[in-house]
Amino acid sequence: MNAVAQGNRRIAIRLGLVAALMFSFGYVLVPFYDVLCKALGLDQARPEFATATATALRLEFDTNVAAGLPVTIETLDRVVAAKAGGIVKARFRIANTSGEALTIRAIPSFAPVRAAGLLQKLECFCFDALKLAAHETRDVTVVLVVAQTLPEELGAATLSYTLQPA
Amino acid sequence: MTASTETLHLQHADHQAHAGAEGWRRWLCATNHKDIGTLYLWFSFTMFVLGGVMALGIRAELFKPGLQFWQPELFNQLTTLHGIIMVFGAIMPAFTGLANWMLPLMLGAPDMAFARMNNWSFWLLPPAAALLVISLFVPGGAPAGGWTLYPPLSIQAGMGMDLAIFAIHLLGLSSIMGSINIVTTVLNMRAPGMTLLKMPMFAWTSLVTAYLLIAVAPVLAGAVTMLLTDRHFGTNFFKAAGGGDPVLFQHIFWFFGHPEVYIMALPAFGIVSQILPTFSRKPLFGYVSMVYAVCSIAILSFMVWAHHMFAVGLPATAQLFFMFMTMLIAVPTGVKVFNWIATMWEGEMSFETPMLFAIGFVCLFTVGGFSGLVLSIAPIDIQMTDTYYVVAHFHYVLVAGALFSLFGATYYWLPKWSGYMYNERLGKLHFWWSMIWFNVTFFPMHFLGLAGMPRRIPDYPLQFTDFNSVASIGAFCFGLGQLLFLYNVISTIRGGVGKAPAKPWEGAHTLEWEVASPAPHHTWESPPDEALVKKGLRAQSLEHDHE
Ligand code: HEM
Ligand SMILES: [Cu+2]
Repeated sequence: MNAVAQGNRRIAIRLGLVAALMFSFGYVLVPFYDVLCKALGLDQARPEFATATATALRLEFDTNVAAGLPVTIETLDRVVAAKAGGIVKARFRIANTSGEALTIRAIPSFAPVRAAGLLQKLECFCFDALKLAAHETRDVTVVLVVAQTLPEELGAATLSYTLQPA
Repeated sequence: MTASTETLHLQHADHQAHAGAEGWRRWLCATNHKDIGTLYLWFSFTMFVLGGVMALGIRAELFKPGLQFWQPELFNQLTTLHGIIMVFGAIMPAFTGLANWMLPLMLGAPDMAFARMNNWSFWLLPPAAALLVISLFVPGGAPAGGWTLYPPLSIQAGMGMDLAIFAIHLLGLSSIMGSINIVTTVLNMRAPGMTLLKMPMFAWTSLVTAYLLIAVAPVLAGAVTMLLTDRHFGTNFFKAAGGGDPVLFQHIFWFFGHPEVYIMALPAFGIVSQILPTFSRKPLFGYVSMVYAVCSIAILSFMVWAHHMFAVGLPATAQLFFMFMTMLIAVPTGVKVFNWIATMWEGEMSFETPMLFAIGFVCLFTVGGFSGLVLSIAPIDIQMTDTYYVVAHFHYVLVAGALFSLFGATYYWLPKWSGYMYNERLGKLHFWWSMIWFNVTFFPMHFLGLAGMPRRIPDYPLQFTDFNSVASIGAFCFGLGQLLFLYNVISTIRGGVGKAPAKPWEGAHTLEWEVASPAPHHTWESPPDEALVKKGLRAQSLEHDHE
């Protein structure tokens, strides 16, 4: 190998290393992002905000099914304590009681209405239409972020879902 | 020299055996930089046609409101694939192909640094393109969440997304290998006398672009790998339900994405900086400031990514930071535009087709730059993000910018590649045709965006009809006009309007014009002697030391 080829090889190895480092850098951005969000106070959804002394809201879940729709829905976590700054997760069991595949959609609603601003849906089975096979039973979830301050007079709220044909 | 510029691996195979290979083996086993450059360019044109047909599919649907041709699902797939194919399949490989063809010739090197790796870089592309096309036919269809692949859609999508992710892995690998080759060639294989600050501007922009790619292509690979593991292996990088954050993807994506914008713009700057002096018969104005501008644009491009995310709820300080950093990029970009104008100023200009495309580039890229400045203003962007204003903006920089520079480059160097002159009348017709219909297509999109028409929709409210019909007519005419280009190129390769001299442009002084036309299979096997290099540098006013 002559000098040029040797020089080439040295440069290529260095550049290859840079590429490998930059691949890892993409992953380093993940924890870095968490740290930065915490430092800047951007993170509104961290369980540790919800300390034992945080005010809590009694959150109830209610379910309904549109008339004639051969589907049942059951609340697996009927009542939860939503602590200020915390995350709330609730599960539901949906079953298709007919012998045919169905597409349904869950329509959410809050009572009182202003609770919607305090309990934000991070992830919800109501975001998408659900396709259920004949006689299928499926567990679905909703994940809510609770506001960091809750008004004291608001003792309880209800989140209700109505299943509709999609 | 050829034997000594061997690749890192595969030392055992016999290089010379392929040198004279004919037929398909010449291409499959190509290690010659000119053959590989040709492969890249044809691949890129094929992808341009494919992505263009998809664009026409989009525009056909948008000719009038309502759903005429496609269901919304397929419409979204067309939009997404059009974006991915144009960016990764058409524009980027075309620049790599040009760098392959031209860098050794311009720098006085016998070939690219790693001939076999070069072969690999190219041959990863067709499988990647195949994966993208196949994704249209799998259950659930091609990815439909936009070329930016944002979760949650990209996590919920069907297996077409997995194919796209693998395609992006291959494309990224190809880019990284191609870039390693370019950087090594530029740094280590220049002819004696050709110092870094005496290289043609195209070599500078290729060098900086290659560095950018080595820095950000792996980050994109990481981002899509995270998507893949979120989809199939239970990780929660971007899944909100599992504690991840979809906005994190946007940060990582745009850390790649904004430098990517310059990966598609810098080589165009380089090409224009070769063409304008040639046809103005004057040296490039402000060579050193051009180099500094390229480097500062590259560095700044790492600090502006969140201007794509003004609407996600960044804190005000972050919005201000990204807004001002973005505006700062206008400074080196402005320096370049002024230098190009000063190059033409009082020059003996003539208007051959490459020059027309270069001037068209300067005018229209500047329009795209201005709409970019408008979008960089955070409170305005919050209104305009995800509207057709953005579509207008990036097509001014990508079509009238990157693509026009590529047309210019093709007409400029085609005599060197093929040995024949192209038809000048047809070339000029191609230019004026593209210029007019490009503006008919994309200028109305500014108005549509200002009036609130969202991008990525298959149907729209009635009040947007007129401008959309105009844009669709423009798009079909623009597309049709590209057949002129194809015809002109093919007929040039077949003999054109006669043999081209070694230096068909009297105002050109770079080294590629010192070899015969067509450029022989092997060139600069012994480096050009210093007197020849000096002569060219003197003509470009680069004989004094800048260092
Ligand atoms: C040849 C003429 C072209 C036409 C008529 C055209 C037209 C379009 C249209 C109608 C859209 C969809 C806008 C939307 O609904 O959001 C689009 C998106 C896009 N185009 Fe083009 N385009 C052309 C060339 C190019 C080129 C050369 C590039 C180069 C990179 C490009 C890059 C993109 C990108 C990145 C998107 C965004 C895709 C997305 O929203 O995910 N286009 N184009
Ligand atoms: Cu950007």
